[in-house]
Amino acid sequence: MNTVPTQEAGMNTLPTQEAGMNTVPTIHVADPVIQVRNLGKVYGSFTRDSILQTGPEFGTARDPRTGSIIAAWNVNFDVAAGEALGIVGESGSGKSTVLRCIAGDQPATTGDVRLACHDNGEFNILHLDPATRRRLRIDKLSVVYQDAAEGLALGVTAGGNIADPLTAAGWRHFGRIRERAADLLRRTEVPLDRMDDIVRTFSGGMRQRVQIARALANNPPILLLDEPTTGLDASVAAGVLDLIRRLLEELDLAVVVVSHDFAVIEMLTQRCIVMQHGRVVEDALTDQLLEDPQHPYSQKLVAAARA
Amino acid sequence: MTNPILDVRDVSKTFTLHNIDGRTVSALNAVSFSLSPGEHVALAGSSGAGKSTLLRVLYRTYTAASGSINLTLASGNVVDLTKLTDREVVALRGRELGYVSQFLRAQPRRAVIDLVTRAGVSRGMNRSEARDAAALSLKRLDIAESLWDMHTAVLSGGEKQRVNIAAGLISPPRILLLDEPVSALDPENRERAIDLIADLSLQGTAVLAVFHDLDAISRLATRVIRMKRGSIVEDGPTADVFPHLQPAEVQI
Amino acid sequence: MTNESAIDMSSLAEITGDAPTTPFALLDEESKREIRRALLQAVAIPGYQVPFGSREMPVARGWGSGGLQISLAIVGNDDTVKVIDQGDDEGVNAVNLRRLIASSTGINETTEVNEATIVQSRHRIPEDPMGADQILVLQVPVPEPLRGVERDMKELARMHAEADYSKMWVSLYEDKVRNGVITQTTGYPCLVAGRYVTATTPIPRWDIPRLHQADFLTLFGAGREKRVYAIPPHTDVEPLTFDDVEFEVESADGATCKLCGSSDSFLVESPGTTPSWTCSDTAWCRRRRQA
Repeated sequence: MNTVPTQEAGMNTLPTQEAGMNTVPTIHVADPVIQVRNLGKVYGSFTRDSILQTGPEFGTARDPRTGSIIAAWNVNFDVAAGEALGIVGESGSGKSTVLRCIAGDQPATTGDVRLACHDNGEFNILHLDPATRRRLRIDKLSVVYQDAAEGLALGVTAGGNIADPLTAAGWRHFGRIRERAADLLRRTEVPLDRMDDIVRTFSGGMRQRVQIARALANNPPILLLDEPTTGLDASVAAGVLDLIRRLLEELDLAVVVVSHDFAVIEMLTQRCIVMQHGRVVEDALTDQLLEDPQHPYSQKLVAAARA
Repeated sequence: MTNPILDVRDVSKTFTLHNIDGRTVSALNAVSFSLSPGEHVALAGSSGAGKSTLLRVLYRTYTAASGSINLTLASGNVVDLTKLTDREVVALRGRELGYVSQFLRAQPRRAVIDLVTRAGVSRGMNRSEARDAAALSLKRLDIAESLWDMHTAVLSGGEKQRVNIAAGLISPPRILLLDEPVSALDPENRERAIDLIADLSLQGTAVLAVFHDLDAISRLATRVIRMKRGSIVEDGPTADVFPHLQPAEVQI
Repeated sequence: MTNESAIDMSSLAEITGDAPTTPFALLDEESKREIRRALLQAVAIPGYQVPFGSREMPVARGWGSGGLQISLAIVGNDDTVKVIDQGDDEGVNAVNLRRLIASSTGINETTEVNEATIVQSRHRIPEDPMGADQILVLQVPVPEPLRGVERDMKELARMHAEADYSKMWVSLYEDKVRNGVITQTTGYPCLVAGRYVTATTPIPRWDIPRLHQADFLTLFGAGREKRVYAIPPHTDVEPLTFDDVEFEVESADGATCKLCGSSDSFLVESPGTTPSWTCSDTAWCRRRRQA
């Protein structure tokens, strides 16, 4: 092999923690915007054995002795701007847990998560105080949830839901807040005559669109999508998916998509990781995962999706 | 002879079917060959010989079980595709390595012009350049302008295939893998597509293609590689290999 | 405590020979000290709600017990007290509170702002200017400005701690969208010293600008909710409003007080068959008529 492993002078790169990552600097790979290392989440107390005796080989994420759940362990990935990474797995595999630990909805048990947009990735955001952590959600990192009630105030108008992150970011001009909200609703294809209706009166698909509009209000560089179309009627889901895909192409976002639906993963992502019983069993190019899955569990998932 | 842009050494591919008793299926066996810039090599062989498997291994849609796939980049650096990280492969797939499949894999609800423009952007063009180039490609493939803003789902099979070629050939990468690109086209459109593919070689793109007709091979390929049961059985100039080809090796 | 037991107490005192002692200003010294400590903290952190151990008072909670406890905790022998209710010194509640303060301390009472050192009030700030040597004590029913947008106490504490007031802004946004204007009238939420959103309940908008950079100290007391807070002199008090939506005070178009003819004071509609207006601040109105 003629690869020349020279060390490229990292300027704006996130510090790489793990040695032994196969870096071939002759191919320019965009610097990650979000870097996740050794992320772990355990419900309950645990020992070394809890980790050693759970996971895919044991067919469970539950430590039989302590009853603790190793919901996620040793999860690693990088995502750059303009890239979307999928997290695939059945319910209970730990995929949503990973997303929630990154978002700050749940405290992680261990791990290191760095964002290029937060102090140049110098600090592990998992160690930030809750207030600073929450502030990241204003304009650095947004989440779109499966359940709109988690991401929206249902008793507030569509415009008011968008006004929330805008005012949190310091917007104080009513007219400009209205304009920005209208612009976002237009881009997410929500009829403008519904802007002043409370979200509870909206259909499921329309709620997701409002959620997306709200998530994008302050142009965050990172977007986390948790089953964004699950539970919607097929045709409605397709429309929302198209919208997400278009926005990902237009905006240079770093995206993590959690989904059990391969159609979603195939449409939105280039790379993905597969989780089972709290562990990553495979990371792959999305087309490779679909055409040539390696792990028995991945093969089972793909076969089921293809059937 | 110029330095190869692609050098494939002893590449094998085995599928392990974990959920069917861990059965293994061997699809490629120690395949070795190389490809030079501007060269157009046709893969021939009967159905199941491993032609498409080889293309997919080279695109890394399939992971090789063993062997090396050395690519000479535009920078002159050489990388082994089998050892690259996923992120590096994604980066490589833009400008260095392209793949046009027989089937339009694009999302069904995407406008024709968008799809082709997007392909140009993924190969490093800015949006307006890409749009102009997309318009040009679509015109050359005789896709009526009235279809440009339609979703690909409403197109006929032949139209889809031409849109697919337009997207695959826009701002061509340095290596292009074509999997039966002109099948499903009527004679007139087939001619247009063949013209476009012939242009690739003039632009220095190295092409590795699977065709299902002798005519396309004889007009486009400078070299033919014959495959049988996952192995290469013959590799030589088109004129030398052509007489040996059996009808079954070029038809579906 | 019932009357019966009070009688028992006094008889007991007679038997033992000790005269029953009601402490100065009703509250025992420990209680007053505790309230003062809370007030000092409140003054040190303008707009921040300080919890305190609200006592049972001879007035029902919700009838000015919070303001009363503050007045009793800060009053001294040299003070003069004025109490108004809706701007009126003669309101039943105002009279009761004033008498209670005066009788338990022996200090002077007044209806004139310039004679008072402590002005306890519900609903109004007197029209007459107050100075640096005066303290305004406001009785507060609902000290939490975010109560309308969040019920969870823990979440409320977090929002204040992090100055996370976007929900408040959203409610103002929604109000403006629904009604074309921000309809909140009394108790308009204000940002105090650029930090805490504070309830100015229940004074009208008319009085809000007079809290901004005021010469006097304002102490807020909520007896039922067990909170005190403060706006020290010369503190910024900005009503929450959008940059392009002006904060407007109440105005009754062209109306004048039917008693004194005033058009530049806070007027209230007086009951009657034909609409008519009078000054809400009765002392001010009376002086104006006499002048």
